[in-house]
Amino acid sequence: MNDHDSISVVSLGGELEIGRKDEIREALAAARDAESVLVDLSAVTYADSIALTELLRFCVGAQQDERPVALVIATPQFARLVQYAGLSEAFTIFDNVPEAREYLGARTPR
Amino acid sequence: MDTEWQPRLARGFSIPLVATLGFLLIVVLMLVVGGNFVRSVVGQAFQDAERIRSTRMHVANMVNQQLDEETGVRGYAVMRSPIMLDPYFGGRAALPAEFARVRKDLNELGMQSALPALDDAVATNNRWLHRVAFPMILAHHPHRSVELRGKVLVDRFRRDAAAIDATMAQRAALVNARAEASVVWVGGFASCAVLAVILAAVIFTVQQYRLTERLERERLTLDRARRRSAEHAAAYEAEKRIADILQEAFSERLLPELDSVQFSATYVPATEQTKIGGDWYDALQLPDDRVLVVIGDVTGHGIDAVVAMNKARQLVIGCALLDATPARILARVNLELVRARSPIITACCGVVDTRTRELEYAAAGHPPPVLLEPGCRARLLDFGALPLGVTTKVEYRTRRVQTVPGATIVFYTDGALEYGRDLASGEAALLAAVELVGARAPADAARAIRDTIFRRRKVTDDVAILTLRLSEKTLPAASPRRIA
Repeated sequence: MNDHDSISVVSLGGELEIGRKDEIREALAAARDAESVLVDLSAVTYADSIALTELLRFCVGAQQDERPVALVIATPQFARLVQYAGLSEAFTIFDNVPEAREYLGARTPR
Repeated sequence: MDTEWQPRLARGFSIPLVATLGFLLIVVLMLVVGGNFVRSVVGQAFQDAERIRSTRMHVANMVNQQLDEETGVRGYAVMRSPIMLDPYFGGRAALPAEFARVRKDLNELGMQSALPALDDAVATNNRWLHRVAFPMILAHHPHRSVELRGKVLVDRFRRDAAAIDATMAQRAALVNARAEASVVWVGGFASCAVLAVILAAVIFTVQQYRLTERLERERLTLDRARRRSAEHAAAYEAEKRIADILQEAFSERLLPELDSVQFSATYVPATEQTKIGGDWYDALQLPDDRVLVVIGDVTGHGIDAVVAMNKARQLVIGCALLDATPARILARVNLELVRARSPIITACCGVVDTRTRELEYAAAGHPPPVLLEPGCRARLLDFGALPLGVTTKVEYRTRRVQTVPGATIVFYTDGALEYGRDLASGEAALLAAVELVGARAPADAARAIRDTIFRRRKVTDDVAILTLRLSEKTLPAASPRRIA
């Protein structure tokens, strides 16, 4: 919680589909160089395989660069989907934004 | 082709054609009007010239008649013979008509300026008659002064006539000049008309040429576009054919026929167009009475998906033959797929020991199997880790589940779950279908499960389902082999 400025927040909502691929890409690309990223998906209710792939590649990329990433997933539908896709084992997931911030704040250098 | 062509042709033609025709029409109108104008001017000039010529003749006549009068009188004065007076009387008789004629012509020609000279000539003649002619005819010896006066009056008369003639000559020159100007006009006009027609012809030709060029260009563009679209259609057909052939070749799905396990499977592509889906399944016998079951799904469609699917399929089988532990199989396949930058693939890999009825499985971004045991509700097993082909830093875990005789294990792709995007409903529908079909245990259980799920819904994604039903008998065939 000590350094909110170095946490980049990406917010997406609704149904993430192939039609919104560019929007999703741009939103994630904006946080590509951030020290730590909070991906706020609390308003997401569905994601197709294309959208999930984009998310997956982004999170894996951040992990490889050792930049902390926290996902916020609040809707039960999307939480289930994320479980199916195996994301819940690979990434740090919270069900609310403050906890995710706290987690990232503790891990972000300086 | 022609239907696309004709309207363009008509439209393209009309613009230069109408412009040129309009231009020519204006030229013709101008020629008609200008020609009429020139004709009237020239005609008038000729008419005037003719009139002037005849008037001048009458003026000359006037002088001649007067000369006749004078000659007659002089002759008579010398000879005193009455015959000598004939010219005098001829002149007297003709002169009034000549005067009248000249007056009329002068009035009609609008040359009133010459009238005073005419009046003076008439008056002079009159005076000459009374003061010179009559005395000379009547008196036998006219005084010398009469002759002198006669000379003065005759001179005056001739001056008057000369004055009228000079005015007429002036006028004739003017008319001539006007006629000449008109001729120049006619020439200029004709030249302009010729130039205009040439210009119109040039414009028309240029427009026609441009139009022809444009039409030719359009035809070429159209041809190119048509050829391209034909090429695209052909390319699409070719790709679809190749993909269909590949799909046929790859989807040779022979299921093992065993006493201990009964297999059934089904695969339905979402639509005919996307027949080349990326779903696949395999089931094969392993040593030590074990069977391997794999089901997977490649993201995307088309040849890439089919090729990736085939690669994953061969890799799984190859790795399974080396070390049939589900997590190790997936890990090895994953390494190769990440290295080859393959499309992302989800898969669930299971190994069933037909003797112990133990199920080992690992999932990579793929829904876990459903297990139905006699007397129990169908249940979803535990979830797995990330899909294949994303990262090498992923750990797959082998999960072990001890099942019972008569148990049914169902592997499937997510097409079987997408219940209008509501996963909870999709899960419930799948579990219910498994229970319903499991109770009857038909030979084609997979198809029955699919039909139950999609009884009232359309298939929107590829659906693959594979079931295993473990025998209820206690393995008479397996044990001897194990002992041997």
